[in-house]
Formats: sequence, structure tokens, C-alpha cells
Amino acid sequence: MDSETQNPRSGMGDFIESIRDTTVMVKLYSGAVYYGELQNIDGYMNVSLNECREIRNGKVVRNWGEAFIRGNNVSYIGAGS
Amino acid sequence: MNRLLPLELIDKCIGSKIWVITSDSREFVGTLAFFDDYVNMVLEDAVEFDYGQQIKSPKVLVNGHKICMLIPGGEGPEPIQG
Repeated sequence: MDSETQNPRSGMGDFIESIRDTTVMVKLYSGAVYYGELQNIDGYMNVSLNECREIRNGKVVRNWGEAFIRGNNVSYIGAGS
Repeated sequence: MNRLLPLELIDKCIGSKIWVITSDSREFVGTLAFFDDYVNMVLEDAVEFDYGQQIKSPKVLVNGHKICMLIPGGEGPEPIQG
């Protein structure tokens, strides 16, 4: 095993650092989609977003502002688009 | 002896294409950048297949909680559009 697998999250930490303060898409298991500027994320995949918008069928349906999303609901986080 | 632990198999896939199937019927194809002991994964140039819909993202962090199966080198369930 190399150091990456022995030190879990070492590579993940770099990734999270690289997407912090950028606009990310957070998709939940329910299918709900949120866009916002990533404030922070932790080991539970709890996410805090600034200027959070909820998107449904390609349209903004709510502007939540600053929001916290509990990690157990998060399917994935997309960045860089 | 050429017997790999499951996570070592995934470790060998870093930098190459991987097909991820989750237990809630989503599928992802992308280049594996990182993963951790929970099998949370970072995929680059990823495509999500969600009931026939294809959603592309340059970088994706997939929650390991519902990841069910990983296919090294997999090209996904259908040809990638565009």
C-alpha cells in the first residue's frame, strides 16, 4: 500500500482545498440540486454554502443565501464548471 | 503471489478510467483522482448517468456511502454524448 491509502484524506484534503470558495453543485440522494460557493466541508460531507440556490428542472426555485447541508443526504459534489 | 486487497485494486486505478455504480441506480464514469478508506471518491472529467440523463462535471466528489460496485477501465452504461 502506498502512502495515499495509509493516510486517508491526505489527497482528499488537497482536493477540498482546491474547490473551497469556488462554485460547486451539491446533489442530494433525493435528486435536489444546490449551487453555491463552497465555504467548507468536513469528514461527514456536511457542507456549508454561500449564496445557495436550489435548482429544479434547470430553474432557480429558491435562494437560500447561506446554508448548511447535512452530509448524510449528499450524493456528490461537483466542481469546476 | 499476485493477490490484491480490494482497496489495493482501487489504488491501482488511480489516474485511469473507472465506472462507479451506486445502490441508488446512479452511475459515474471518470478518471479516478483520489479515494479514501470510506471509498469516497474524487473523479475528474466525470459523467453521471441518472436514469438516462447524462450530467458532466470536471471534478466530482462522490459520497462512498452508497457506492456499490467499481469497474476499472469501465466505459459506462452507454456511449457518452458530445
